[in-house]
Amino acid sequence: MTTPLVIGSVAYSPNVIPIWEGLRDYFAETTTPIDFVLFSNYGRQVDALISGTLDLAWNTNLAWVRTVAQTDDACRALASRDTDLNFKTVFVARTGSGFTSLQSLQGRRLVLGSRDSAQAAILPVHFLREAGLSEGDIRITRIDSDVGKHGDTGRSELDALRAVLDDRADAAAIGINTWNAIGRGELLPGAFESFWTSPEYSHCTFTAMPSLAIERADPWVANLLAMDWKNPQHRPIMEMEGLQAWVPPRLEGYASLVAAVSEQRIAPRW
Amino acid sequence: MVTTSSLVSPSTAEHTAMGVVLDLIEGIGRVPTGGTVTVGFGHAHRVAALDLVEAWCAATGNEIAVAAQLTVTVRHGRAPDPLAQLDPAQRPGARVWVYTNFDCNLACDYCCVRSSPKAARRAIGADRLQQIASEAADADVSELILTGGEPFLLNDLDDLVNSCTDRLPTTLLTNGMLFRGTRLERLRRMDRSRLTLQVSVDSATPAIHDSHRGTGSWAKAVNGIRIAHEEGFRVKVAATLPADQMHELDPFHVFLDTLAISREDQVIRALAHRGVSDSGIELTVNSLIPEVTITADGVYWHPVAADHDDQFVTRDIFPLADAIAEITRRFVAHRRAADSAAEWFPCA
Ligand code: SF4
Repeated sequence: MTTPLVIGSVAYSPNVIPIWEGLRDYFAETTTPIDFVLFSNYGRQVDALISGTLDLAWNTNLAWVRTVAQTDDACRALASRDTDLNFKTVFVARTGSGFTSLQSLQGRRLVLGSRDSAQAAILPVHFLREAGLSEGDIRITRIDSDVGKHGDTGRSELDALRAVLDDRADAAAIGINTWNAIGRGELLPGAFESFWTSPEYSHCTFTAMPSLAIERADPWVANLLAMDWKNPQHRPIMEMEGLQAWVPPRLEGYASLVAAVSEQRIAPRW
Repeated sequence: MVTTSSLVSPSTAEHTAMGVVLDLIEGIGRVPTGGTVTVGFGHAHRVAALDLVEAWCAATGNEIAVAAQLTVTVRHGRAPDPLAQLDPAQRPGARVWVYTNFDCNLACDYCCVRSSPKAARRAIGADRLQQIASEAADADVSELILTGGEPFLLNDLDDLVNSCTDRLPTTLLTNGMLFRGTRLERLRRMDRSRLTLQVSVDSATPAIHDSHRGTGSWAKAVNGIRIAHEEGFRVKVAATLPADQMHELDPFHVFLDTLAISREDQVIRALAHRGVSDSGIELTVNSLIPEVTITADGVYWHPVAADHDDQFVTRDIFPLADAIAEITRRFVAHRRAADSAAEWFPCA
């Protein structure tokens, strides 16, 4: 019998269990069976990957960048969701607030999500810097309501939006997924509008250590990419995990986060 | 340079409604697909909040389970479609039952519609039956099932049946005891290629059958099956058995084999607690998948309760498609309510 590949994932929502049980059932029918281990935070998961407890880790972009840093570039990204290749950060404010660009945030109150969220904290600061603003130019509030999960729960972004609604802040930086979840300003045009959207960057990716032989990794990736949105058995898993297709990773999409982590001297581990 | 004083004044209704959606998104993220989340809102903003929640659900693939006065309960994902879970043959309107009449030459002690020689006829009549057959064919119904009472008591049964078989395959339920004289002539004028006869026989020997249906009725029914076969009709046999006899089916099947009834045409059903029956399984609209049933009095949920107000659906038989749609709508609503009840009162 083939030894299953052991994959780590962070339990950011109760759906993580049906997702991974569904994936385990799917891979049980293939040449590359899997098992999974759930972690409460990405710090522990990356430790387990590096120490060899895991064959693969389903990592956020920050967890990937940190694994790259800790392994001197030796780790490999194997696959991502289609939705991971064009992730964006959106700056939003109450409708009619008059923001036109990142520069117009000068002197205003900006709320950011959890400090380990690439989309709602780390990259927003990077984009502000690129726009010529320093943290001192803006009154920044951070809402660290889901630290450890790299913003996956979306909770800190929702808290940031509440802060804007409650007039505790003038603007918020959130991930495109949260912006979509609240209807992109179209559901209730009087509530929020976006005034700046970042360039695309890459988000989650399956990460392997060099110890995982190519002969084991490649057939597994082929089986993963073979999951089909049109197949009624595969579709519920893909819907819950938020993708329509598994795709090869887009490594250049991590450059902005690598730069942000280095500029902001992000601690090696949370 | 933009200053803080340029902020527009908050619109309270939108503010509250969007806050409700933020609460919902957070709550939905914490329950697995299929789970529900309840969020509250102030009375003053109920309409705006519900409108937005409805729009949000439509946009995100979630579903309002219950909208109450000051709360809304939303399901993570959509509830499975109760119709999609049904075998296509069970879809409401896949078949239509028609009570041709309610009087009967027998007075069985378990009759679910209280038929007897004294029961009022309440005949459906030729005109209505013809229209039912025609509208049923147009509404994608695949089969008509005629029952009573005893249909062979009707003097125009051949015309009635032919108006059905002209449009759709038809099954005619009978006690099989009246195939003589002019009634046999009527049987002969029916379309063998489109009509199946379904005769009631409850046991392999006379005792049990006769104890419910009257002395001598078993022998006549078995003889009726023989006549129908001789006349070239396909015959199904339906047995009504109390629950305590459901385990003794083998000898009965062997007996029906000797009557040349194919196994697929041997129908065993459990006794229902309906009509004049004082025992049997309880059947309610909540527990029964509907079978669109028409009587002279209107449309009913299921043939087993065609004489009972609790399963009365509407007086309007026509348009038949509307009656089928109404039953379908009620079925979906019952199933959805049952599903949410199951969520609200989980059994440990
Ligand atoms: S069960 Fe059938 S045969 Fe018996 S009384 Fe009722 S309608 Fe007549």
